Amino acid sequence: MNQDEVESQLSAMFDGELPATECELLSRRIDRDENLRARWSRYALIGAAMRSEPVATARSGFARRVSVALAGGEPGMRVRRGRTMIFQAAMSASLVVGVAGLSISMLRYAANGGGAVQLAHSALASGTVNVDLAGPAARSAGAGVPTALLAASAGRREAGLPASAAGADAAMAAARRAGNSEPVSYVTPASVAHATTALRTELADFIVAHSEYSTQLMRRNLLSALVSNEDGADSATPGAAAAPGGAVAPGHAAAGAVVHASSPASVSSR
Amino acid sequence: MVADASDLSLVRRVQRGERGAYDLLVLKYQHKVVKLVMRYLRNPADAEDVAQEAFVKAYRALPQFRGDSAFYTWLYRIAINTAKNALAARERNPVSYELDLQGTDDSSDVVGRLKDPETPEGLALTEEIRDTVNHAIGELPEDLRTAIVLRELEGMSYEEIAASMDCPVGTVRSRIFRAREAIDRRLREVFDGGLGRTEELV
Repeated sequence: MNQDEVESQLSAMFDGELPATECELLSRRIDRDENLRARWSRYALIGAAMRSEPVATARSGFARRVSVALAGGEPGMRVRRGRTMIFQAAMSASLVVGVAGLSISMLRYAANGGGAVQLAHSALASGTVNVDLAGPAARSAGAGVPTALLAASAGRREAGLPASAAGADAAMAAARRAGNSEPVSYVTPASVAHATTALRTELADFIVAHSEYSTQLMRRNLLSALVSNEDGADSATPGAAAAPGGAVAPGHAAAGAVVHASSPASVSSR
Repeated sequence: MVADASDLSLVRRVQRGERGAYDLLVLKYQHKVVKLVMRYLRNPADAEDVAQEAFVKAYRALPQFRGDSAFYTWLYRIAINTAKNALAARERNPVSYELDLQGTDDSSDVVGRLKDPETPEGLALTEEIRDTVNHAIGELPEDLRTAIVLRELEGMSYEEIAASMDCPVGTVRSRIFRAREAIDRRLREVFDGGLGRTEELV
């Protein structure tokens, strides 16, 4: 198509007399042809001059500036929407990873002895006050706990209250007073000692198996921690001491810190 | 009016998502809208900014345009409202202009003065455009002149012109195109001598 024909089409399009299909093709051409754009604009000026309409010549690039202003609005919104979606996805992912990491850290902490406080609390709640302070973290951070637990338990017994109710609050308060700011779990396992370890292992397995954000390194570290903990527990089992009242804290008496206040039967008989 | 029909065709294309069609509407009406806004804002640069804002507003409101009135009538109202708002905002926040004692050269803003139709230069240019167009029309052959006058002043469609001139529609299209080309050739000479570049209009 020669230039003359294009300009003829432009004139017809200006008058709204060009078929729609040709309009579409010509529009694309106009968009990239400054000469055609200028001609289109002058056609408007010619018509206005013939009708004696008031006109003012705009600065160069007026229509382009309008076009840029329009383009700046629409895609900008898309970009903002896109950024918002990316931000939300990133926040969700980081939240999931954070929760998973926190869970693993708590499990490690529990595996290193922090769980001893929970164990003590559980034992008190079930009436068998077997407090195991064999864990190293418990020994360092919760050194004052056994005395407090015993005193609380004894006080309650003297007041005629069941040890299960008496010891729980005291154990919580004592654990916090001892400088351990970690919240103490209220979960009460069915069985005292082995159930806690089994629960920890199950939870760890569950998280590792189900978390898509767990890396190979995280899994290895977690498993190593669990294995070392299991080893320590196994090696401690043979040395478990029999408590004076006959109740034993199996597998948790390596440091000889098993405290036996009373058996459930003895508490209930009083 | 046929002019309204051609605008409506562009508007419908814009409403279908073809933004290039809106670009053509801007090119078509920029001179009239800038001139309209200048009634309120004397400064050409300010008037252009407000005219640009009016076009942006019109584009965003275009999905609601049903074609009950002519596109330019609708655009005219938006431009007037935008100009009034700009004027009110300016009155609330007046800008102080420092007197430039150093730059006393009046020729420093010749182009700006040429573009302002209210200045003597601007008025002269507008008048010159009108004279040039009218003179070029007077020089056209009778068939071309009749075709362009029926189209631009009477607003007739090609078909109506063809019926009126007793010729095929294709001939009308060709005559109108050749009339425009002859006038445009003269107009480019004015712009090349006055504003320096014909692209100033784009």
